[in-house]
Amino acid sequence: MPSRADHRRWAEWALRLALVIVLAVALWRSIRVVRPGAASVAARTSTLGEALHRATVTPRVGALDVDVDGAVPPLERQWLAALRRAGVRITWRGDVPAMALSVERAREPVARTRLRIVNESTAMVVLRDSVGVVDSVRAAKGATVEALDIVGRVTAQQARFAASSPVPARTDRRAVLVLGKAGWESRFVLAALGEAGWKVRGRLPVAPGVSVMDASVLPVDTARYDVVIALDSTAADLAPALVRFVAQGGGAILTGSALDVGALRGIAPAQAGARRAGRILLEGETLARADLPLRPLVARRDDAVPLERQPAGLAVAVRRAGRGRVAAVGYDESWRWRMQGGAAGVSAHRDWWSRMTGLVSPERMPVDEATAQSGGAAPRAALFATLGEPSGAPPPPESSSSSRLPLVLLVLVLVALLAETASRRFRGAS
Amino acid sequence: MSDFTFATAQYDSGDWESAPLLPANVIDSIARYTSIDVAPTGVIVPLSAPALFRYPLVYLTGHLPVRFTAAERDNLRAFAERGGLLFVDDHNHDIDGVFHKTATEELTRVYGPLREIPNTHPLYRCFFTFEDGPPTTSHELNGWGDNLVHKTLSGAEHDGRLSLIYSSKDYSSEWNYHPDNKRFLSVDNTKFAVNLVVYALTR
Repeated sequence: MPSRADHRRWAEWALRLALVIVLAVALWRSIRVVRPGAASVAARTSTLGEALHRATVTPRVGALDVDVDGAVPPLERQWLAALRRAGVRITWRGDVPAMALSVERAREPVARTRLRIVNESTAMVVLRDSVGVVDSVRAAKGATVEALDIVGRVTAQQARFAASSPVPARTDRRAVLVLGKAGWESRFVLAALGEAGWKVRGRLPVAPGVSVMDASVLPVDTARYDVVIALDSTAADLAPALVRFVAQGGGAILTGSALDVGALRGIAPAQAGARRAGRILLEGETLARADLPLRPLVARRDDAVPLERQPAGLAVAVRRAGRGRVAAVGYDESWRWRMQGGAAGVSAHRDWWSRMTGLVSPERMPVDEATAQSGGAAPRAALFATLGEPSGAPPPPESSSSSRLPLVLLVLVLVALLAETASRRFRGAS
Repeated sequence: MSDFTFATAQYDSGDWESAPLLPANVIDSIARYTSIDVAPTGVIVPLSAPALFRYPLVYLTGHLPVRFTAAERDNLRAFAERGGLLFVDDHNHDIDGVFHKTATEELTRVYGPLREIPNTHPLYRCFFTFEDGPPTTSHELNGWGDNLVHKTLSGAEHDGRLSLIYSSKDYSSEWNYHPDNKRFLSVDNTKFAVNLVVYALTR
């Protein structure tokens, strides 16, 4: 029968064996080939660059969770998309405001930059360009800011989040051709566009076979003109050329009796109805655009967009025709607005005509695809588009048992070592 | 509504109505030579009235001293700023006369210093061609008034366009007759009036 000393020796051997086994397991864990994709990485926006690098160069990282607490730069967003396509599971969370910024330059010679911002909250949004602060707006219902001297890149900042977009470059405008009879409407449309910076050419018939016109008015083509304005039916002889011009990408504005020209009906957004007299002014009153005589637009085509309505009816409509745009305008005595519109009449008339001309003027700037797709102008939408919907909570930590295993092994080693040593000490062995 | 209505300026001082037959004669020439839709009768518009802005070309003449009221001055200034053109003719044809002296003084207060209009100006070529600038009047050739043949007109510009044309040539006498009497002239002497109107309507 084994003695008590034999039991103790067996126990000591068992402890030594356990110690060897635990050490073997630890050795095996340290030298085994780790299964790719087993690990996950968590990051905040500020540490995203480092996490992306780690996820890219470490094969065992199979998941990346991002707590979005600030603006994610386009480069890092695209990096996340690339990792996702490479098989890494990407999840994100964060209260990113639904905000969008649009920056466009008016197609006019003195090209104002128009910033349009919309934000889901009523929080103040600070607009900056590359020089400094442009404005601060609340844009819960959308806001538009126009300025002449915005340069570089525009950023709309709300707290730590920002939408940004570059300011489009200025493009040179080609000439505008005004066709109309000798009269105040022709004269003041020419004046208004000239004052607005447009290069204007005119052909104004004053007698049969006699026109007051600039040199080299013809041919009417997109190499020479951005826009042709036909103020009345004196444009009839150039109607086929005008239709071709619009099909090639030129812009046209048809007003008054030009809308009655049969050959132009194919491109006109609408026809001009019966003339309504303007409002009679009382002593001390000034004339507004709504007070002008108007031929309300009728028979509007399905693809024409109404732009301006007055109590007397539709005043302005626009449509695409071929590669160009055509506007129909019901005002044929807009000059009265300039002359009788008080102190602001001149600038209002000039700006309106310049804006109308810019509206149908062709876009000559190539679209920057890289910028268009960078998504910086709408950060939340870009995150959705790149990464899908956010996850509600952080993912559970990966395999908790395996991560606790080294600690268990260490405890086992210590316990086995202490027990074996104590046993030998108590029996007097060295 | 006609495209063009001939308007004569009425001002508080002086004899603004000194050439009553001129409007009908000019209207007749416009209708005779051009396709401009011209109103068959002219209008008289007070310089101080808001109605001035309904007529972007206004004719002003007289023999007597001219003193604009403050309202007339303000209205004329706004008229020029908005693109209106004022044609002023000295009915005396006399640069020593009271109309010339007082009218140019008043006009200078509103328009700034008057400058010579070069005889190459489009005003002289926009319809009929006047190689030598403003056509000479019979009153200049007869030695009446200041006994001078004025070679040029003067005026002022706003934003590169004429806003004032001032004449010492006495077109007010030259054109102040019934249009039917044009048949007695070998050369119609109102052709320059057509240029004035065409220029105003097209430039």
